[in-house]
Amino acid sequence: MTFELNRQLAARREPLATTAEVDAVTASIIRGGMETICFEAATYLGRAASSAIINQSNERNAAIVDAHGRLAAGAIGTPHLTFVTGMTVRYGLMRQEDYNWGPGDVFLGNDPDAGGGHLPDYNIYAPVYDDAGELIMIQCLQAHQGDTGGKDPGGFTLEATDIFTEGMAFPCLKLVHRGELREDVFDLVVRNNRFPTIAGDLAAMIGGVQHAVRLLEELVARRGAEAVKAAINYNIEHTEARVREVVAAWPDGTYEADVFIDHDTVGRAKDIRVHVACTVAGDQLTVDLTGTDDRPDLVGVWNTFGNSRSYIMTQVVAAMDPGIVKNEGFFNAVEMIIPEGTIAHPPPNKPAALGSFHPACEITEAVCIALSAIVPERSAPQVYKMGMPNSVIGFDDAGRMWMDQGVDSRTCDTSAVQGIDGWGTCPVSLGNLLLSQVEDAEGRFPVLNISREMTQDSEGAGRWRGQPGSLNVKQVLEPATAMAWMVTAEHPLRGMCGGDDASPYANHFKVGTPEEHKVELSANEVLPAGSVIAYQYGGGAGFESALARDPEAVREDVLDEIISIERARERYGVVFTGSVEAFDLAVDAGATAARRDELAAQAGAS
Amino acid sequence: MTYRVGIDIGGTFTDFALLKGEEVVLYKNLSTPEDRSEGVMQGLAKLAEMEGLALADFMGACDAIVHGTTIADNTLIEMNGALTGLITTEGFRDEMEYRRGYKENIWDVRLAPPRQITPRRRRLTVPERILFDGSVHKPLDEDAVRAACRRLAAQGVESVAVSLLFSFVNPAHEQRVLEIAAQELPGVHLSASHQVLPRAPEYDRTSTTVVNAYVGPRVTSYLERLSSRVREAGYKKQLMVMQASGGVMSVDYIEGAPVRVLASGPAGGVIGSAHTGVAKGHDNLLCVDMGGTSYDIAMVLDGAAPAVAGWNMHHRYLVGVPMVQVETLGAGGGSICRVNRGEVEVGPASAGSDPGPICYGRGGTQPTITDALLMLGILSADAEFAGGSFSLTRDGVDAAFAAMGEAMGYSAEDAAFDCWRVVNANMTQGVRRITAGKGVDPKDTCMLAYGGNGPAFAAKQAEELGIERVLVPKASPTFSALGTLIANPSIDEERSYLVPAEQADPERLTALWRELAQRAAGYFTGAGFDAGAVEANYQLNMRYPGQNWVLTFSVQVAQGLNDLSFVAADIGQRAIAAFNARHMAEYGHIREDEMPEITGVRLATAVATKAPPIGKGFTAAAREAQPAGTRRANLGEGFGDTRVYRGADLQPGDEVPGPAIIEESFTTIVVSPGWRAFVDDAGDYELRCEDAA
Repeated sequence: MTFELNRQLAARREPLATTAEVDAVTASIIRGGMETICFEAATYLGRAASSAIINQSNERNAAIVDAHGRLAAGAIGTPHLTFVTGMTVRYGLMRQEDYNWGPGDVFLGNDPDAGGGHLPDYNIYAPVYDDAGELIMIQCLQAHQGDTGGKDPGGFTLEATDIFTEGMAFPCLKLVHRGELREDVFDLVVRNNRFPTIAGDLAAMIGGVQHAVRLLEELVARRGAEAVKAAINYNIEHTEARVREVVAAWPDGTYEADVFIDHDTVGRAKDIRVHVACTVAGDQLTVDLTGTDDRPDLVGVWNTFGNSRSYIMTQVVAAMDPGIVKNEGFFNAVEMIIPEGTIAHPPPNKPAALGSFHPACEITEAVCIALSAIVPERSAPQVYKMGMPNSVIGFDDAGRMWMDQGVDSRTCDTSAVQGIDGWGTCPVSLGNLLLSQVEDAEGRFPVLNISREMTQDSEGAGRWRGQPGSLNVKQVLEPATAMAWMVTAEHPLRGMCGGDDASPYANHFKVGTPEEHKVELSANEVLPAGSVIAYQYGGGAGFESALARDPEAVREDVLDEIISIERARERYGVVFTGSVEAFDLAVDAGATAARRDELAAQAGAS
Repeated sequence: MTYRVGIDIGGTFTDFALLKGEEVVLYKNLSTPEDRSEGVMQGLAKLAEMEGLALADFMGACDAIVHGTTIADNTLIEMNGALTGLITTEGFRDEMEYRRGYKENIWDVRLAPPRQITPRRRRLTVPERILFDGSVHKPLDEDAVRAACRRLAAQGVESVAVSLLFSFVNPAHEQRVLEIAAQELPGVHLSASHQVLPRAPEYDRTSTTVVNAYVGPRVTSYLERLSSRVREAGYKKQLMVMQASGGVMSVDYIEGAPVRVLASGPAGGVIGSAHTGVAKGHDNLLCVDMGGTSYDIAMVLDGAAPAVAGWNMHHRYLVGVPMVQVETLGAGGGSICRVNRGEVEVGPASAGSDPGPICYGRGGTQPTITDALLMLGILSADAEFAGGSFSLTRDGVDAAFAAMGEAMGYSAEDAAFDCWRVVNANMTQGVRRITAGKGVDPKDTCMLAYGGNGPAFAAKQAEELGIERVLVPKASPTFSALGTLIANPSIDEERSYLVPAEQADPERLTALWRELAQRAAGYFTGAGFDAGAVEANYQLNMRYPGQNWVLTFSVQVAQGLNDLSFVAADIGQRAIAAFNARHMAEYGHIREDEMPEITGVRLATAVATKAPPIGKGFTAAAREAQPAGTRRANLGEGFGDTRVYRGADLQPGDEVPGPAIIEESFTTIVVSPGWRAFVDDAGDYELRCEDAA
């Protein structure tokens, strides 16, 4: 890998060569067909896979990339994966002659230095050709695997200083040649992965992609290759035009934001900075990460170039009409400057696993803060500031790895947006990730779940408030390893337009024993059987000043025990008569007005 | 003479299907929204009069009155159910609000939350804990239960759901909470999760129980009122009620789990379709019902409409009981067409029936699909519409499409044609999503089209999906009422049992199936059926460890509910072999190194009842039918003079070559270019693609 390779991978691609023209309606019909096929592939995988990360948490994504490597269609899973898929495929496309691409082939790519995100995100993809043998597009199916064969089970190593510590990287590996499974290659991949169901999950991914390829071949045969190519071109151009139209309506100017990570994965370096400048000039939006941290000895906080582009785009699309079709047109319309050597564009061989959490999320958050000056009504950060998943890993009597994957966070980072309080468990772009359940997990893993409730007074206050955080308490019944990386004590998720920041995350291990301790920086500990861990998830941030919140909405929150009477008074300036217990709580209008004046004066004085 | 009466209450009409001997009589009168039982009684009186009987004699001669109701759906749509509370396990107060993290649109940061049935102040917890193996980890704190009940009472709750962790394995704590709640909250409707949906995981079960609690009081009081009215009028049996599973069951049973009537209306239509299609020789059907506001899609596979339990998001609330899978798209005759930034869009917004499409002449101003059909000549202002109740008008229609055309840079007729194309594409993609979820290729099915607008699009839809045959039954407008007569009394329930298949304990399996069998026997007997006549389908839910989706398959089908001798020592091995065969068929691979696990047992029971006979066959002499005239129309390949036929003129044996339009009393059938319509011996239509071999 080189920076030069990344420049080539990210370069703007030409439209597909075709003599055909299609009208708007035909183009959208063909696109709809392609999106539906993505849905079919992802559904197939979700049903056949046995990794809980795929089938419970739904962390999988289907997309179609055209023969030039442009994102053509797809929209299931998460935007964070959708927008990185194409880069891995672009690397494969560059090598298609070397690797003897042909009909019936299926490939695997996950290499962070060859366009990928982090190693666990296996991208399985397969080319689609027309009858004349011309490559038209590539079907991709991406899913997070439970292991990558590196130093630590699960693929996350806090102290990793290179990618080799984290496991096997596959730039572009052919798993199926002309319809025949390459069993030696398949077995090699399986052998280098601790996850006991990896063979079945890989088979399910290959099956899902092959199923989609058959449908795409039918689509090409029915519509004609030229019409399909013309439709892809049309849709990408249409999206670019729509995005430029939105940007043109925004006020010209440069909007900047800084977001910090408390410290790197080993706790040595502090206040790691992400800087974003979003510049609007006419119909051109430029997102520039110049000024982002580039200290070469930082550990763990390196986000791959492909991921950085994706995490920028995730927030850019959130700021626009959700009806704009998601494809390469966004990348064509938005210029990104991601300086080489920064934590958003690391030099070769840096570890990648934890960078997909931080600084990836800080990049997204910074874009949100910058754009909140332009589109406050669509400014809610699409992030997860959790450090890393609260996974618990062990081995059964037969030596097989198990992982309670920790995607059981209840409420976190669910910020308010203008007019709507934060709700649900996570930002909307993660709304396809289903949380695991006690009754599925406890029969499978030696873990007792004790509590998952929302925490009173942990909402980011605001005229519209964030959803409170939640306390997740569980007990391991067998010895297990738990890892943690805490990142929000100093720099929690930021409020928007004068709203309060979210409450920070906090994590306690061995709760209720003499060895109980709070994880200050990071931890990788073997917990004896019976240990309790208590993970306080941060809440969502607020929007605009808490003193502007409708007192009746505050009253509702008090009745629902989301906030206490004391906090209502101290933070929202709302004073009540009556009590929660008697259900006769009422807003004392006079006292509330006085209290709000008092708080406003204090705020002004400070 | 004995009678069976099927009744389906819709928004506008209450439909009746009366089966006497081999004959079916259809009747409809206006619904009575104030008290729906009133419209039912008026219709029953009319049927008695038509039979020349006094109402009491007619009712006494009724062997079954079967009812489909939308009351539960309406409650969820209007959000006017009971004031509901929830009692759950300490530490898990907020699962209902979490919704497992699910959000319906991942791209819209302005997506608003659904209204909560149980806001946090009415979600209360009690200390207790049962583990996955059913053992008690922490005993129930009964004082806390009493305190919770008092807090709910202070808020005036009318209905309470109880859902504790692992109650489906060991319901003791839930049962005790019910007992205490019955003392502390007299008159309050109670729903317990181990009764409503005894399966994992907790969100699915809790949500289903909460919805049950919310709709329960309204459903129950309505059914009790109707039951007593039919009983007073002379009916001697139990009123039977349509369920979402596609079966019917007695009021006694439904009152134990009112949530089972949610979504039962469309299910009745699918059951009617299945019966009709199978009778005509088609076991695999794609059923499409296009009405005024929606396009409902359902599959019939191997002659049955499978009911699926699990992730059924219904009006934004998860309802996990078995439901015939009916997917609804916002694409109907009333769907509004518009140009949005250079793209033609259709629906999901609908003009409804009031004011309705512009061409209804009732004040509608936005162009709809029905208006587009008028522009295309598929409908005509000169023909009768909706059974002759009114005629369409062209006033304002041309201007509306001309405005769309101007925005797009072409003519009004081009705009109408693009609307037609877009709605076709929306429907095609909707169908593909449904078939994908089931692993079915639509090409392997026959389409059955009904609803006012279904037959106008069916041939085109079929062509896009590679389907070669389309059935259009004459009786399709009353399919839901007919479906309630066709649906068999049935109970489909399951019990959880999580165990590696090789370790399956035959005694435990026997005990679980016996419990289900005894429950079923009790309800069937209570409803007047002979338990020996019950057909029992013993099924297992299985998966590989870690898979989230189970495959359900039958291990034994038996007559009667007593014989469990099939559960022998080798049941585990038999289950593994059957599961692996299913997995190979479904997903193309098996996992040789992994031991599949059983997650539960299921028992589907049904009693066969007499269904209306369905005519079939093409024995009448074939002849080419004579058109009533021609008109200028565009059926997909440009405008041209198109033959128009009147359904009333057509006889068995008649053939109509496409392109052509057939005007039936409640619908319009388009015979696309390259297609041909055949009238069978029963007077129903079959459209065939002539390009097909």
